[in-house]
Amino acid sequence: MNKVTLFQARRIVTMDAFQPHATHVAVQNGKIVAVGDAQCADRWGQDVVRDDRLRDAVLMPGFVEGHAHLMAGGIWRYTYVGYHDRIDPDSRAWPGLTSALEVTDRLRAQHSLLPAEQPLVAWGFDPVFLKGERLNRHHLDQVSPDRPIAVLFSNLHLMCVNSAALALVGYGIETLVEGVVKDADDFPTGELQEMAAMFPLMRRLGVDFRNLAQTEDSLHAFGRLAVQAGVTTMTDLFSTLTDDDLTLMQDVTSAQDYPLRIVPVLGATGGLPEEIAARVKTLAEHNSDKLRFGAVKLLTDGSIQGWTARVRAPGYVGGQPNGLWNIPPAQIHDLCDVMQREGIQMHLHANGDEASEVCIDAIEAALRKHPAPVDHRHVIQHGQMMDEAQFRRCAELGMVVNLFANHLWYFGDQHVALTIGDERANRMDACRSALDSGLVLAIHSDAPVTPLGPLFTAWCAVNRQTMTGRVLGQEQRLTVAEALYALTLGAAKTLKMEHEVGSITVGKIADFAVLGKDPEQVAPEALCDIPVLGTVASGKVFLT
Amino acid sequence: MRDRRLPMTVIGGFLGAGKTTLINQLLRQPQGQRLMVLVNDFGAINIDAALIESAGADMLSLTNGCVCCTMGGDLFMAIADVLDRHPRPDHLLVEASGVADPQKIANAAVAEPEMRNGGIVSVIDGENGSALLDDPQIADQVRGQISCANLIYVSKGKPGTEFLTTLKEIVPNAGFAHTAAEVTAFTELGQDLSVRVEKNAPHPAYVQWSATDDAQFDAKGLRQALMNRPTGILRIKGFVRGAGATGWLVQGVGRSIDITSIPQPQETQLLAIGLKENLNTENCHTWWRDALRRHDELSLED
Repeated sequence: MNKVTLFQARRIVTMDAFQPHATHVAVQNGKIVAVGDAQCADRWGQDVVRDDRLRDAVLMPGFVEGHAHLMAGGIWRYTYVGYHDRIDPDSRAWPGLTSALEVTDRLRAQHSLLPAEQPLVAWGFDPVFLKGERLNRHHLDQVSPDRPIAVLFSNLHLMCVNSAALALVGYGIETLVEGVVKDADDFPTGELQEMAAMFPLMRRLGVDFRNLAQTEDSLHAFGRLAVQAGVTTMTDLFSTLTDDDLTLMQDVTSAQDYPLRIVPVLGATGGLPEEIAARVKTLAEHNSDKLRFGAVKLLTDGSIQGWTARVRAPGYVGGQPNGLWNIPPAQIHDLCDVMQREGIQMHLHANGDEASEVCIDAIEAALRKHPAPVDHRHVIQHGQMMDEAQFRRCAELGMVVNLFANHLWYFGDQHVALTIGDERANRMDACRSALDSGLVLAIHSDAPVTPLGPLFTAWCAVNRQTMTGRVLGQEQRLTVAEALYALTLGAAKTLKMEHEVGSITVGKIADFAVLGKDPEQVAPEALCDIPVLGTVASGKVFLT
Repeated sequence: MRDRRLPMTVIGGFLGAGKTTLINQLLRQPQGQRLMVLVNDFGAINIDAALIESAGADMLSLTNGCVCCTMGGDLFMAIADVLDRHPRPDHLLVEASGVADPQKIANAAVAEPEMRNGGIVSVIDGENGSALLDDPQIADQVRGQISCANLIYVSKGKPGTEFLTTLKEIVPNAGFAHTAAEVTAFTELGQDLSVRVEKNAPHPAYVQWSATDDAQFDAKGLRQALMNRPTGILRIKGFVRGAGATGWLVQGVGRSIDITSIPQPQETQLLAIGLKENLNTENCHTWWRDALRRHDELSLED
């Protein structure tokens, strides 16, 4: 029999209703064998190794991030120039930048570090938060007139480049290309909008979004980000999985020191529903401890802040046309029909309330035809504009929801002013209504769209504060206990993994978040300030 | 003289419109060119075994020189991969996804200096297409796919008069094609810049017009002249003499026009095609004669 390790902590918040708190947890072969006090492991014989490295820390179940993307790791190969503070996978803090001047200062510092032949690429830029002149090629030319520079906007639909980069493609005064923005003298400003205008430059700079996800470096960076955030189980929620990708993921995650359980959810695209179902079943044959296939993702509409989400009347407050379907309603119905028939769990991206309505309709229709499996647990992802009526239908149909709580802070003010107005913004990401309707609830970051950090996500759901300090719909606030449940067992349930992770319970995997303070004992406003010291994944300790 | 840029034609149309069926037919057409087709879904491509030279997991090579590939997760990067192939195909056809705006894809060929816009063919289900325009959940998206088309290919039966009128309201300048051969004829023009009529006998559904003279234009004057071309012209190509050592390569599809500087050609040559029902070649003669006269007058004023 392998040795038993007994971890001692200042306090353990187990999230297990039968034994909510403890001070010790014993682990064998990566599984929890005992929870309790200093004597809890005694019955496992003399062969107990005491590990007191965590004695000053507070342990919680490893957090479960139910909606993130592998790119959250890979994007860090580029220089971060966003407005909000972020921490990279190597634990380096990158303070947010508040003006074009600060952006060029940071780029200049990076410029001095790069080999001469390498282009300088940055990411995370968002002019909506900046005052003063809009970033243009003149700013970037001051960083370097020779080295091509490209600054990707946080939405990845736009970029701003310098004159050297414009010259690489030959964009100039004679260029008449949609998306190449011109100044008063008819010369390109440096801003390129949408992929068609961006891609000639991207191919010349070697920027390929495909390489940000399925590479060895990205997978390792993803793992390090998880450790920093206290996350031990995380989705890659729209995976494109070639056979090569599968081999790579197996190689990386099977290493003893890989700290993360990845749940790659196959994007339902590029094939008939039957073919997608067959593919995900084949993938699931390769499941291992740290790699869990079996679900598919349907990307139904766009985003609210991009005015591409499909919303019901009265639509967008600025009179913008309704959004775009990535999968039109008839096809959503076809996919739901086949996936439910084949017993495959679906994660349905639906930002706008028309999209969530169509998803619920489609699942109801599929359930009428194929009542089994009863515990299908299809998940509405984002569900940002869902109301009580939709939640109630979800509950009756056996569905669950994963709401985008981080949006309240990052985009809440924009939603009030520009997209859907006060009334609907106040009930966005209506966590309270979801719980009151009897639903299983998870909350998420959608990293790298917003930074990975479950305690911050919990803070958003508890405080519902925007960047300007406004509270959006305080009636929809969660209690701290409810928010912590959403980060652990709630999210685990949306992945059908609550029998393995989500609480510190005998028999489950020994996945813990290692915290500097006790989330149950700090003020609700201070949830986001709790230091994360690392994780324990399958019994192995990873400290930042 | 050849235009070495890779032409890209986008096949758009809503889900179920019949894009794959058209692509299957296009791949079977005898090709005078090495055609490469990027498709969303490989499973639906259905080619006779006799035509297949080799088949891989995501690529199909045909005995007539055509190659068919899946685009994977990122269309634009897949297009970049095509540009990196040796040898490059003569023509790239891209199957837009059933919800994509084909214009946003075609814009890539306008932006990329190594490519040129080969136009947009939108596929419309003649029988059921009109119902899509009545569905408030998707009508706008479908309308957008139609409005950017240079050529409408009608699949599955004949559209009724009312539907046809609606389509013509949405996209007044597009031609209508009813066979795959007519679509091939639309994509083929442009590689070889020779305008000799006997070398380029058009498909019977098309008429063509050509001009050969020694007219000289500056870029602005040429653009102005070409902007006024008759609306029935689907494609126009050729080269035009400029001043000094510089001349112009012209490639136009629909209402878009691309003018690139080239070494001064011997003479000015233009060739245009349009569908018989839409293009009266007399109008082309008149247009070009007027363009030359107006240009001469402007030059005299200078």
